[in-house]
Amino acid sequence: MAPNAGFVIAGYLVTALALGGYTLRLFARARTARRRSQAIADRRRDR
Amino acid sequence: MAATAERAFGKATSRRGEHLLGIATLIALGISAALSLLVAPPDAVQGEVQRIMYVHVPAAWLAYLSFFVVFISSIAYLKTNKTRWDRVAAASAEIGVLFTSLAIVLGMLWGKPVWGTWWTWDPRLTTTAVLLLIYVAYLAVRRITDNPSRRARWAAVIGIVGFIDVPIVHLSVAWWRSLHQGPTVFRLGGPEIEGTMLLALLVGVAAFTITYAYLMILRLRVGRLEERAAREALSPLVGAER
Repeated sequence: MAPNAGFVIAGYLVTALALGGYTLRLFARARTARRRSQAIADRRRDR
Repeated sequence: MAATAERAFGKATSRRGEHLLGIATLIALGISAALSLLVAPPDAVQGEVQRIMYVHVPAAWLAYLSFFVVFISSIAYLKTNKTRWDRVAAASAEIGVLFTSLAIVLGMLWGKPVWGTWWTWDPRLTTTAVLLLIYVAYLAVRRITDNPSRRARWAAVIGIVGFIDVPIVHLSVAWWRSLHQGPTVFRLGGPEIEGTMLLALLVGVAAFTITYAYLMILRLRVGRLEERAAREALSPLVGAER
């Protein structure tokens, strides 16, 4: 393996984790907000 | 013209448009990684480790772009008082913080083998750290108050004043003695970089720009959903139940 290749691998791995992780976090936030709205709407309907 | 732009934005933000942009982002990032890791030659002096440039530089440029969008949207909010501009500024600031953090971490990974240290109080590094702190503060201020118009006003002021640091970061390598290398692409006399390396760098910037557009659309949708949930939770009907 070329010298310092570990730093390059770490760099690309960090980039993939940061961009992928943030995207997944946005999906999770959207799901949570949708469920919250749905739960409120259900409670209103049940009254 | 404005109507055409609005229609194009509407198409991009539809769920189908969002999926297509997601696929385009993955393809663009894949092409960029292949060009940077397999096609571009290693640097004559630094060797393989210079390949970090193809992600470090695009991350830094996209941080600048994100904060420029915050700056423009903040001005637009103060002028028009329209919530949509505040939403755009908040989304872009969050993504800008992500890209700035990424640029700093990648710079550290590049700095260790080349400079012999993870961090040094060099003008470029220091002004970038200040930039990160400014926009982390911007996001923190947004959580201080629950009053939406006060929150948007305070944030807009920070979004405008904070942008002053962006040209300082960019020009720091020219103004002060710095360990960080000077400009290689935008310089008098043309780019000082080998052709394949320049192509890989420009493709990297394009791929990161598409990624930014995709993240913005996702983050704007999340913002709308979270606002709706908060509005519904605070509505008098639900409040009366408790």
